[in-house]
Amino acid sequence: MINRRHFLTTVAVGTASAAALAACGNGSSSSGQTGTAEKPVTINYTWWGNDDRAERTRKAIALFESKNPDIKVNGNFTDFAGYWQKRATEAAGGGLPDVMQWDLSYLRDYGQRNQLLDLSTVKINTEAFEKSLLPSGQIKGKTYGIPTSTNAFAVYYDPAKLASLGIAEPDGSWSYKEFNDFLSQVGSKSNGALYGGTDYTGVWWMFNIWLRQNNIQAFTPEGKLGFSKDDLKKWWNLTASLRGTGAIIPEDRVTQLAPKSPFGSNATATEVTWDNFMAGYLGDSGAKELKLVPVPSDNQDNLGLFLKPSMLMVASAKTKFKDAAARFIDFMVNDPEVGQIFKTSRGVPASKTQRDGTTFDGTDKAVVDYEKSIEKYLKDAPEPPIVGFGTLEASFKRIASDLNYGKLTVDGATDAWFKEAEDLIKQNA
Amino acid sequence: MTTMATPTHSAGAKAPDYNPKSESAGAKRAKSIIFHAAALVLTAIVLYPGLWMIASSFKPNAEIGGQNTSLWSNNFSFDNFVTAMEGIGGVSTLQFFTNSLILALGAVVGTILSASVSAYAFARINFPGRSLFFGMMIATLLLPFHVVIIPQYIVFQQLGLVDTYVPLLIGKFLAADAFFVFLMVQFMRGLPAELDEAARIDGAGHARIFGSIMLPLMKPALISTSIFSFIWSWNDFLGPLLYLNTPDKYPLPLALRLFVDQTQSSDYGAMIAMSVLALLPVLLFFLIFQRYIVEGVSTQGLKG
Repeated sequence: MINRRHFLTTVAVGTASAAALAACGNGSSSSGQTGTAEKPVTINYTWWGNDDRAERTRKAIALFESKNPDIKVNGNFTDFAGYWQKRATEAAGGGLPDVMQWDLSYLRDYGQRNQLLDLSTVKINTEAFEKSLLPSGQIKGKTYGIPTSTNAFAVYYDPAKLASLGIAEPDGSWSYKEFNDFLSQVGSKSNGALYGGTDYTGVWWMFNIWLRQNNIQAFTPEGKLGFSKDDLKKWWNLTASLRGTGAIIPEDRVTQLAPKSPFGSNATATEVTWDNFMAGYLGDSGAKELKLVPVPSDNQDNLGLFLKPSMLMVASAKTKFKDAAARFIDFMVNDPEVGQIFKTSRGVPASKTQRDGTTFDGTDKAVVDYEKSIEKYLKDAPEPPIVGFGTLEASFKRIASDLNYGKLTVDGATDAWFKEAEDLIKQNA
Repeated sequence: MTTMATPTHSAGAKAPDYNPKSESAGAKRAKSIIFHAAALVLTAIVLYPGLWMIASSFKPNAEIGGQNTSLWSNNFSFDNFVTAMEGIGGVSTLQFFTNSLILALGAVVGTILSASVSAYAFARINFPGRSLFFGMMIATLLLPFHVVIIPQYIVFQQLGLVDTYVPLLIGKFLAADAFFVFLMVQFMRGLPAELDEAARIDGAGHARIFGSIMLPLMKPALISTSIFSFIWSWNDFLGPLLYLNTPDKYPLPLALRLFVDQTQSSDYGAMIAMSVLALLPVLLFFLIFQRYIVEGVSTQGLKG
């Protein structure tokens, strides 16, 4: 993967060459070049995803072209990991595609380096969007990304496995103690054949939600840590008594099962993660049905939940076809027929017009229904993560797994993570 | 590879042991059995991942990895191969194979042509600055690929050559693979200079000496170069990832990654099936030419 330092150098070189390029070019009109039906302009669109998404995107592009004969869309795709290596190189070479599918964790990085177009300067309709969702695509008053779709955090469970153990299905209104008891119950009733779940305290976003439940910000607007060491110690101590019991799957088992998740491998009864993993879990585990309930909270009025854009649409700051790019983004996020094509392949459609125009069935319906059921608990989505967030998230997971291996105590783990986090934030300041 | 490790059994061969006098035939046999048993165990360990891959390509997706540790599945089927052959996003798998083949053969032809000519110049022509240029060429070996990615990309981007095969092949035709040039220079230095001196007396120029004397003698070096450049090009991921945009132009390594998407569902079965298919050409290429590799190592020019 391309790390931050690498990115810096790439962008530095890129900016220099872009400046050289700009010197020779002449200023174009604010809307960029436009085409006609006889002589259409061609914009490049790129996304990551599998075969299924490629097929759906092809259909959406064909529909867009038939409705907009003056624009041709040239679609390309790669896998997720390769996608970012390619983008970093292109950003440096000044050749980012006109329109791109984007991930939240890279938004600030590219946005701050002026690689992305401020979409508030072009015409994209955002009236049908949840107001709490839009800030997640904005940085310092500029809109760099429009969410295509949302996901939310949830607890997954397999009803068939619980039934076979004689455990009642949870309704999702549980405190942390009740959730822990539930995990222990699975472990003891199955005699070690099935673990309760993975250690949820190792999941950054779950920690973030717990902080929100306690009215603490994860990051201050200045990009510093908003919580103290004591908060993190309290968090990692939540499952201290469960580690090494049947409630939590041991770390060495997790490693053996990789790249599949413990839940997808039928080694655990529950998993705490984003609700758009449903299709993946169903495919991996072969389970008939999986259900979603809200995360635990000690304050049932504040679940700390929020909708996060599972993906965004962005445009390159250097695109020559601003108008065409804006029309394509608008179409991809708002058109009801596009919703019908993608279903939940990109997540639950973020725009209400698109969501209402889509019929959901089976698995898709379970995810949409879950997001509807938590509507009253939703608060503003957090701002785009700080630069280097991916590294922080990964080190959170790594240190928590050392905790599970017994290599670190909670105090030691807290100190280790804070040191890494503070160093990283200092580097990026 | 394993054939090289097999010891000779001819009676005349002397086994390397501490005390050759007291070695009986029985002890020799026991030693040989132990050696072979150990070699077989090692081979099994080395080959296990390959075996796992082949076995998994016949399993349903849900039975690959995770808790399933058994090698064979009762749900044996060719479904994964059917899915793999259907292609991705409207591009047929055959197209990916063709692309990989074009790139790999292009790399072989380019490298052979350019590296042998450059090597001849370095090994046989005493031009001014030869050692300086030779040193510079070796220095490029020390330059990590990642350092030149961005500058190279900018050059090709501004020449409008991105999304063509030119950036991937042009280096091969210009002897940019210093490793191969070096390999051939070393090989040529091992060839007796009397041969080309004799040819020169007979009135041959450089072209004639290179074509009629050097090339035929260099066969082992040319073959090992072909094998390596074929395999490297066939397995190259980063180059095509950066320079190719249109899925119709993707070679196999890029296509393989499209089956595994951590953000959605991953079709491990199809990916593994396609990996098996993608391995076949390399394996065949290696099997056909491997005896030449051994030959190339053992003859080293005209010695012995």
